[in-house]
Amino acid sequence: MAENILLIEECESHAKALKLYLERSGITVFIGTTIDEMQSRIRTKEFDILLVNPFLNGQSIWSHIKKIKNGKPLLQVIVLCTKKNLDQAMDEFGTNAINFLEIPVSSKALNLAIVHARKCIANEQRIALYSERLADLEHDRTLYQQLFNEVPCYISIQNRDLRLIGGNTLFQKDFGNQIGEHCYEIYKHRSSPCPICPVAKTFCDGKSHSTEEVVTALCGQQYHVLTQTAPIVDDDGEITQVMEISTDITQIRQLQGHLSSLGLMLGSMSHGVKGMLTALDGGIYQMSSGLKKNDPERIERAFDLIKQMADRIKKMVLEILYYAKSRELQYETVDVVKLVRTVVSTISSLARKNSIEIKTDIPESLGEMDIDSNWLQAALVNLAENAVEACQHDKGNEKNHIVEFRLWEDADKKICLSIKDNGMGMDQETREKMFTLFFTSKGSQGTGLGLFIANHVIKQHGGEITVESMPGQGTCFQVSLPRKKPEESIAPFGKSLEAPSLD
Amino acid sequence: MKKILIVDDDPNIRDYLVSLLEDNGYATCTANDVRDGLKVAKENKPDLITLDLEMPGEWGPRFYRQLAQDDELKNIPVIVISGLSGNDYAISKAVATLSKPFDREELLGIIKENII
Repeated sequence: MAENILLIEECESHAKALKLYLERSGITVFIGTTIDEMQSRIRTKEFDILLVNPFLNGQSIWSHIKKIKNGKPLLQVIVLCTKKNLDQAMDEFGTNAINFLEIPVSSKALNLAIVHARKCIANEQRIALYSERLADLEHDRTLYQQLFNEVPCYISIQNRDLRLIGGNTLFQKDFGNQIGEHCYEIYKHRSSPCPICPVAKTFCDGKSHSTEEVVTALCGQQYHVLTQTAPIVDDDGEITQVMEISTDITQIRQLQGHLSSLGLMLGSMSHGVKGMLTALDGGIYQMSSGLKKNDPERIERAFDLIKQMADRIKKMVLEILYYAKSRELQYETVDVVKLVRTVVSTISSLARKNSIEIKTDIPESLGEMDIDSNWLQAALVNLAENAVEACQHDKGNEKNHIVEFRLWEDADKKICLSIKDNGMGMDQETREKMFTLFFTSKGSQGTGLGLFIANHVIKQHGGEITVESMPGQGTCFQVSLPRKKPEESIAPFGKSLEAPSLD
Repeated sequence: MKKILIVDDDPNIRDYLVSLLEDNGYATCTANDVRDGLKVAKENKPDLITLDLEMPGEWGPRFYRQLAQDDELKNIPVIVISGLSGNDYAISKAVATLSKPFDREELLGIIKENII
């Protein structure tokens, strides 16, 4: 490295002698003998080393050098002075000079001072470079930290023990800042690792894995998430951590669940629908042939059949519509006794036809209640029809079949209705599944929607439904409903697709 | 008078077929499942059978297999009338396969052609 040295010395011959000596080692030297010369040289050229006798005409030029040094912090200053000025020079320059040489200058001391200056220059250049890089790094780090934090997914970093060692902002917001806890405790409140863990797989093979999970946030909210992992390796290429990114796909899953169950429903119902349409055809045929033959009995039978089919098709279409469209209830005030009497009369002709006795224990009046009468009535009729059908299908014994309706107000001022039959009853499996979507014990006659919707409608009204049943002995449904609209109603379909559980 | 056996679990559809076929000059007998169907077939030796596929208990194809194993019954023509879609091959030896809801004239035409 060839340095440029600015040599300031008022004694020109001494300066020239030094210049001559230094140039022999391949160093370029410029000479100045006054302050003005020094300043103009500094302005026009870059110097690495300032070799200066700071006493021009007996005056210290320290203040000028200080200014220069402030502007050019990399410029190395070596002071030359006579023995008597040395002490003052040291006081003034302190650490701003890297060396103090006594005039007359020993060539050895000068050489060492130059070498030392070189080292200082190199070090300071390196430090300048490093701090520049450090500033860049810091800037990048902030940027990446921001990227990490602001990604609209849950990101967590985990170690081999599946302990959390970091999480982004969204993760901390919904799952807390629980560094050191196990992932499965935080995400799923489990006490042991999940059976299929994408993080463990990534630790094994270094590849990205994905799973779908249901996780529970601090607030109790459950999220369906698509979880993907990526390895984080150290300098030796060893996987020390795994990043887990979970995207909230709750809405997509709900929509998908809704659509697929809709498809499933249409598929499972098509057979029933075709049967009904064929029977309807039959009714129309019998009607027209009955008219042709003037056979009143046949006409009446045909009309009965058409009416029955029209009712069933209507019911099925309504069930599909109810399920297909998420709807809010339309509340109105109705007379409780009147509502229940309507339910009873709706099924009485079906009961009569099958020689099933209907008993009622309904008070004169129970006041009014706020309900969606369309849907609640449909739900109660559904329960009543189930009771009648349970008797209808209870063949092969001499039982006198009875369906009993009882209506009362309980201690909590709730309206209670029980519908009890002595029909075929249900086994445990049927009892457990009866409110499940698409579960039917009636083969192609049922949609598997009726009780599911009945249960949902009653829950939506803030009510409860319980069932007791024994195979061969009969079934008792009991519904209790508040008189007023509940403050917090459960979501209509489309928002909550879980089949309601059996109480 | 030619006799037709109607096997279907839906009473309304049985009634419909009984009226339709009797109005067109056939005698009928009915069964609501596979077991009953085989019994009635043996007792009545019908000239033709209409068969539903999806019924509680055993399904239509099972009925057909058992029918085909009985020397007295195996030559009786069978018309499948079913609500299942894509049912053409469920019973490949059936003389015809109709989908519910079926066309009256088409059914009567097929019966006329196949009744021995």
